[in-house]
Amino acid sequence: MKELLGQIDKPGVIESSCILQGAEISVSTFVSRNHETVAKKAFSYVFQNVTKLRTKHDEAHLEIGGKRLSGFMLQDQRVLICMSDKNTNVSLVRDHIYLLKPKVEA
Amino acid sequence: MADYKILFTGSVCSGKTTAIRSLSDIETIDTDASVSDSAIRRKQKTTIAMDYGVLEMSDSARLHLYGTPGQERFRFMWQLMMSDLVHDAKALVLLVDNTRNDPFKDIKFYLDEFRDYLVQRQLIIAVTHSDQQAHPDHAYYMNELKNMGIFTTVLFIDARYPDSVLEVIKAVLAEREPSVDWDELGKRLMEHRPPVIEDQSCEASESEQQEQIEQEKKPAEIKLFNAVSLMDAAMNTRGITGAMHLGADRKVLETNISSMQNQAMLKSMVNLVSALEQKVAFLGHIDNLVLCGPEHETLSVFVEERQALGLCSEKELSLSVVKQQAMDLLQWSGE
Repeated sequence: MKELLGQIDKPGVIESSCILQGAEISVSTFVSRNHETVAKKAFSYVFQNVTKLRTKHDEAHLEIGGKRLSGFMLQDQRVLICMSDKNTNVSLVRDHIYLLKPKVEA
Repeated sequence: MADYKILFTGSVCSGKTTAIRSLSDIETIDTDASVSDSAIRRKQKTTIAMDYGVLEMSDSARLHLYGTPGQERFRFMWQLMMSDLVHDAKALVLLVDNTRNDPFKDIKFYLDEFRDYLVQRQLIIAVTHSDQQAHPDHAYYMNELKNMGIFTTVLFIDARYPDSVLEVIKAVLAEREPSVDWDELGKRLMEHRPPVIEDQSCEASESEQQEQIEQEKKPAEIKLFNAVSLMDAAMNTRGITGAMHLGADRKVLETNISSMQNQAMLKSMVNLVSALEQKVAFLGHIDNLVLCGPEHETLSVFVEERQALGLCSEKELSLSVVKQQAMDLLQWSGE
């Protein structure tokens, strides 16, 4: 799985990524533990509320400081989290993730 | 005959069209259309392609004045103008609306956008609307710009008055064009041209124009642009279906979101942002939190120190557009 995350990380688009399973990070390429912790807490909370309120949102983006943390809900309720520079076009991040999402879900 | 070109740019309502109208000897060419976004708070019409005017500075010198549209969604026009029409302009005049909540955010944005263009051109920062909002003053601008590493001319102007806008032109061309008698030119412009009345007034009746002139004479602390509320402006914005305005304490001031589900979700997002603001401030400011999905409206929370804005928008609307509209709405929100 770590190799797969290595494919997700792409210079100029995605700096680091991790998988949130339940309330814990199962695998990660994050260098900054602070950002990883914030992402974990934030997306756990957001997607718990999505489930509770029965909305169909499956993607969240949080811009904090110079970074953007993005969370993508996978089919098995895991969340693929990635970090990019705030100035990176969010469409690039989304396109890249949607391209690789099936591989992560497989 | 020497021909010069100057390009005016800046945010919506910063006075680009007005400045060009103030100086132009010909009937200006503008491409105004009804506002369909957050700019509705400030005016009914906005430039969608470009403004153009001509000033005969002397018997041997002519100035062509070009203005970009202010809204970021017309950015393609900026590129087109920079690479074609005004590739040979002498200067870029960045008009900065002093009533915006953070004028320096605008400066940074436009300088980033026009960075390459500025390499071989002079930059003038012309601050407008300082009669409505005196602060930041000139000294503050100079100091902040110095901190940003920007060393350039800053002028405070009133775009409605030809002699005031002429100061900008003088700063660019005085040394380049010796044939111009600037005092005479200023007198000619003021004698033959009354101050331009902005925006809506171009379609207003005489009595409405008089009323507007009276309004402009009122003290600066009176807010002129509160006729359209933040909520109304948000609802006038293409693709926005609901809005929630929150105060500095992140409590809801006003909302028109009818779906209880969306309201609850937005409130939970605001709670998360509030908690993070307190606990992880060392990572930097939280700008926004966006939630989207293929079968549901996009929900977003945009955060500033003094206020926050929650938006529901159509899922087809790009996240960049939602963000830009939200930033504009917050830039003009009154206390």
